[in-house]
Amino acid sequence: MSDYTIQVKGVSVSYHTKRVLTNINLNIAGGSVVGVVGPNGAGKSTLFKSILGLIEYNTGEIKVLGQDIEDVRKRVVYVPQKDDVDWTFPATVMDIVLMGRYPHKKILQRINKEDKRIAMEALEEMGIAELSNRQIGALSGGQQQRVFIARSLAQGGDIMLLDEPFVGVDMTTEEKIIQLLKKLAAQGKTLLVVHHDLAVVDEYFDKVILLNQRLIAYGDTDVTFTKENMAKTYGPQLTILHKTGLI
Amino acid sequence: MNEFLQILSEPWAIRAVIVSSLVGIMCGTLGCFLVLRNMSLIGDALSHAILPGIYFSFVFFGYSTLGFFFGATIAGMLTALGITWVQDHVKTKNDAAIGIIFTAMFSIGVIGISSLARTGAHLDLKDFLFGNVLGISDADIVLTSIITIYTLISIVVFYRYLFVTTFQPTIATAMGFSTKTIHYFFMLLLSVAVVSSLGAVGVILVVAMLITPAATALLLSDNLKKVLFISACIGLLSAVFGFLVSVKFETTPGPAMTLVATTFYLLAVALSPSKGLVFKYLERKKQKNKIVNEDILRQVIKSKDGSPVAIDYLKEKLGLSQASLKKGVQNLKTLGLVIKSAQGIALSDSGQKKANELVRAHRLWETYQVDKMGIDAVQIHDEADYLEHHLSEELLEEIAKDLGFPENDPHGSPIPPKV
Repeated sequence: MSDYTIQVKGVSVSYHTKRVLTNINLNIAGGSVVGVVGPNGAGKSTLFKSILGLIEYNTGEIKVLGQDIEDVRKRVVYVPQKDDVDWTFPATVMDIVLMGRYPHKKILQRINKEDKRIAMEALEEMGIAELSNRQIGALSGGQQQRVFIARSLAQGGDIMLLDEPFVGVDMTTEEKIIQLLKKLAAQGKTLLVVHHDLAVVDEYFDKVILLNQRLIAYGDTDVTFTKENMAKTYGPQLTILHKTGLI
Repeated sequence: MNEFLQILSEPWAIRAVIVSSLVGIMCGTLGCFLVLRNMSLIGDALSHAILPGIYFSFVFFGYSTLGFFFGATIAGMLTALGITWVQDHVKTKNDAAIGIIFTAMFSIGVIGISSLARTGAHLDLKDFLFGNVLGISDADIVLTSIITIYTLISIVVFYRYLFVTTFQPTIATAMGFSTKTIHYFFMLLLSVAVVSSLGAVGVILVVAMLITPAATALLLSDNLKKVLFISACIGLLSAVFGFLVSVKFETTPGPAMTLVATTFYLLAVALSPSKGLVFKYLERKKQKNKIVNEDILRQVIKSKDGSPVAIDYLKEKLGLSQASLKKGVQNLKTLGLVIKSAQGIALSDSGQKKANELVRAHRLWETYQVDKMGIDAVQIHDEADYLEHHLSEELLEEIAKDLGFPENDPHGSPIPPKV
């Protein structure tokens, strides 16, 4: 078994006839917070879904924790973009966080005190313990995202994939989440974060994946997140980014 | 009345009540997931689509409760598979695919059963379309009981699976739950529920028993377990009351049950504690009154030496009707915020304090708009007029802190300090 927790070998993905990812090769090790950066339509979410086995890839192979994803699902946590959720759903914060315990349960096993304790701990970690009985629609955007992060904490796991976790989230929540991610990385976990705001890439991520249908570059942020690489990633859009002063 | 009771004590009526109650509970519970999964149309489709199953089962096995049950369940499952296949493989919109398949299945069933009836078979299409409580047999009671128990146990045992796949299918898959298996399992439950509802309500209206109690319960609670329970209760009540109504007025039970369920729904729409129209109306009215009251306070505090302000002056300044102004003043008086005299209105001490808070909110927000949001000073007044009623004390403190506790607003007027 290698030290890499996620190994992507020659993976290509198409939707219908449209190529979204072409020949991606990546070896990611635990212990760092990895940013996934690229323009809209670069295939960032598709990369996540391929790793998670939610979509089929045309060619190539992906190993997670050295195995097929189906054998390690319990240990891989996904935090999708939060806009495709029905916020009127009759569920409380606690209900959602307890979902994180579901993969650990056999069919006839009930949710027990221990699960509730773990869920409560996760809520405390995210600073929203007092909201545990709220209906999820009665929360602010930041609180909603904290609930989903708390759910992934309750699940545990060694790999965490977060798709745009900072969209529609207040500053305090953003800081809270990034601190948590750094803490988890220090415990040796693998964290992948799709992120849009280029201004904070240096500060947030130890490593960065630059993606635009192909893998442009992958490595430590200080040597990878360069003007040249960004030009390759964003192409013509870069001039616009220059104007906004982000890079 | 006696006649009414006598009918109810007849064996067929007792059988009908038992089966209807079971159907109400079962459909009420399953319906919650149906509605939450945005699959109401599928419920309608499945119920219509079981007719050919009945036809073929009659052709092969004759009149048999068990035969109908399996025939109809198979037809339901084939429909579910067919719909999913078209949705996945053909470029037809989802709801259109559902419509195409179930109307075709329904038509096959109608033509089949009508042709059987012409050959003299003891089958009446109307019984399947609208139910036939007179024809409910002891075998139907046994079958419906088994199916109800099976459905309820399944929901308890697979609650987690249903919950997570309904709420967030992607997450369910990522966690390793097979959303497809659960989807088809749910379709199976739905098919057998629909089949066992045939006698009581018929294929056309069974969808009402599935979605109306569920939609009602969803207006009444934010907790899925409670929603399931309430929905089952409403389903039960609709079925029983509907049946009684139908006996009383000598009509078909299905439509009566549907209308009783609809009545519950309308009551919930109007009276639900948090989502009802009455509650929302009262809430809006309360809000409106609060704004009127606070506008009056704001106007009265402008009086230079604290001398009373004439009612007519207020009326003109605030553009309020005589009635709402009078009511506002009365409210403020009851709250002890103003003192009314022959000369007009003056603020009490607590009124003075409250008015100061409002001025503070208004001017702080104006300052915030100019300093932090870069909005031009001429544009800021209206929004501050609106927001002054809604800014909480904590938020105001944050804003004041953020602005460095300013002393004057952008127009140069002093911002009253926090008392």
